[in-house]
Amino acid sequence: MKTAAELKCGEKVTINEVDIQHPSAKRLMEVGFTPGQEIELVSKSVFNDPIALSVRGTVIALRKSDADCIIIS
Amino acid sequence: MTVNTSTDNLLITLVGPPNAGKTTLFNFLSGKNYKTVNYPGATVNSAVAHLQKKFDINAYVLDSPGIVSLNPESTDEEIAVNSLYKHPRLGKPDLVIVTVDASQLSRHLYLVKQIINVNFNVIVVLTMVDILNKKGFDIDEKKLGKIIRCKVFKIDGRSGKGVKLLLNHIKENQNQYKTNNLQEDSFSDTSSSEEVLRIYNEIEPIEEQTIFQLNTNKSIDLSKANKQLNLLTNKAIKSRCNQIDARTVKIDKILLHKTWGLFFFFLIMTFTFTSIFWFAQPIMDFVSYLFQFLSNDVLAILGKNWFGMFLANGIINGVGSVAVFVPQILILFLILGLLEDTGYLSRGAMLIDKPLSKIGLNGKSFVPMLSGFACAIPAMMAARTIPNRRERMLTIFILPLLSCSARLPIYTLLLAFLFPGDKAWIAGLVLAAIYLLSIISSVLAAAIINKLNHRIIKADDKSSFILELPAYRRPKLKVVLINMWHSGKLYIHKAGPIILVLSIFIWFFTSFPNFNPKIKVNNNITQEQVDQLKASKRLATSYAADFGKIIQPVMTPLGLDWRVGVALISAFTAREVFVSSMALMFKVTDSHGSLMDSMIGAMQKAKIGNTNQKLFTPSSIIGIIIFFMFALQCLSTVAVSRKETGSWRIPVLQLLIYSSLAYMLSFFAVNGLRILGLS
Repeated sequence: MKTAAELKCGEKVTINEVDIQHPSAKRLMEVGFTPGQEIELVSKSVFNDPIALSVRGTVIALRKSDADCIIIS
Repeated sequence: MTVNTSTDNLLITLVGPPNAGKTTLFNFLSGKNYKTVNYPGATVNSAVAHLQKKFDINAYVLDSPGIVSLNPESTDEEIAVNSLYKHPRLGKPDLVIVTVDASQLSRHLYLVKQIINVNFNVIVVLTMVDILNKKGFDIDEKKLGKIIRCKVFKIDGRSGKGVKLLLNHIKENQNQYKTNNLQEDSFSDTSSSEEVLRIYNEIEPIEEQTIFQLNTNKSIDLSKANKQLNLLTNKAIKSRCNQIDARTVKIDKILLHKTWGLFFFFLIMTFTFTSIFWFAQPIMDFVSYLFQFLSNDVLAILGKNWFGMFLANGIINGVGSVAVFVPQILILFLILGLLEDTGYLSRGAMLIDKPLSKIGLNGKSFVPMLSGFACAIPAMMAARTIPNRRERMLTIFILPLLSCSARLPIYTLLLAFLFPGDKAWIAGLVLAAIYLLSIISSVLAAAIINKLNHRIIKADDKSSFILELPAYRRPKLKVVLINMWHSGKLYIHKAGPIILVLSIFIWFFTSFPNFNPKIKVNNNITQEQVDQLKASKRLATSYAADFGKIIQPVMTPLGLDWRVGVALISAFTAREVFVSSMALMFKVTDSHGSLMDSMIGAMQKAKIGNTNQKLFTPSSIIGIIIFFMFALQCLSTVAVSRKETGSWRIPVLQLLIYSSLAYMLSFFAVNGLRILGLS
């Protein structure tokens, strides 16, 4: 099971599922990370964390621990 | 402006996700005359204004912090959502205008859907249509309005095109809004993940039906044009529509780069702080001369009786010594506003999230900490954006250590004393070092408290960092300037009365009961010497001197005397008062240069008691600087800390820990330096 936290820079994928057990899941879905959406890892911060993902026409920065609930395969 | 909630006034509340052009719309509707409900400060903004007179509609407009959804995650969102349902002072809105960034329609329709479901009277305003056009698409607002069953208007953020149509519509329907108001009192929280998905499932077809490709090629045949109307169902085209701004991606390649990102971060921060000093200097000099000129003139006209002295020393010098620093504060607010408006602030938060999380803070602590350099009060309020309670409390705890603008007057005065004339450039460097030290000390404090963990700050839950990085854009100078003006005005409102009252108090206690002391006069001294002898005798026999004898034992270990003690104690009401108190304690009157110059002159002459020992030496000045770096000397900060944390626990701990730390460190510094041979 691969999550968005493991993406490489410039990698474009489709969200398969969002783990609703995760405490950040609802907020992430609210800002646009829903199954079926295409996301791309746009950039990483200096310490490789947080990461910036593009979704629905904008860019959202989030920690890898948050991105862990976005399952991509 | 008084806010009147009488029934003939419409209340219009503006709601929208962050960065959706809500504030721009607010400025179009309100003009310049708005009143900040809350303290200003990046992100926590709530303002109310009457609709501009020329629009001829009796209505108030309320602007509140941006929200992603009606299910709040942080305190600022909670406040925004609550004030949408029922504003504590203004009541329920008659009309809700939701701003929607057309270039990210599906994301922003989520909030619209939620609000429509609660049965508000809703109008949707589409912004950033120009960005959508640049990508080669446009949106059919009439069709969108039909589908979601509310009125939709396109508004251009730069020219204000479309505002007129919106207002005409409101004017025609204003009576209807009044009668047809919402029935429910509060939002029933149906915020399960399934609900989120359900709403998005409703939204996605809407996007496909309303956004269409623009005919970029002018000579296009009709059959092709017809085809293009619903082309968004095509996946490839849809992904092009959702493409993010290419320029932003390019800039982020540099500003969020692994190594360069950090370099630019420090460069931008350094620029911010140094420019506060360099840009403000000429304006400060001007204000300084102005007040000295006024004070001298008043003395010349009224003579050296009690009234003339009261006006010149008590009021003009007292207030002037603080007014000098308003330019610096305005410039700080200006730069903060520019950084926020360009979109850099959230990048800064992202870059610094990792290191801050190591010491129990959050990337979202970055904006409060940055505002902390202006004033701890809006900074503590800005901390509301941090969803995790523990991180929020810790941020509030360390904020008083950051060097707020009220300390600037004190440092500037003391450093000008240490490095006069041609050595002034060193003062700039030392000032930078003081700022750096204040960052280091706040970071250390956070790390220590984070280790002590549950003893000082309770509550622990899952930490997260989710923040939109908006597209970079040219800042709207007008909006930034209006914000700066309001911040500055608020600062003067807050500090001004305290300074005025305390100046009068201190003038009284240092001048009475022996206002006209008898002194032995030899024939061969000048009038000026007589005045000086009188002044020092007046002070030595004043109420303040009586009080000073009590606190003298506390001040002696720091190499200071009771006069500085009185100034330090008065500074507990607000730090800047220290400067005006010093001006009064050391009777700054007899010079013709600027106010600053004459203060420094008076300080150089000051002696300890009746001895010949100088009161202000490098070591004692360094001691005072260190005292101000750590002490929590601000009643308003204590009050706001109480309000924001919900109990006395944190403010009392802050006051005790920081002030005793300040005294001890100052003691060690002064005596350590003296042992090392620095006078």
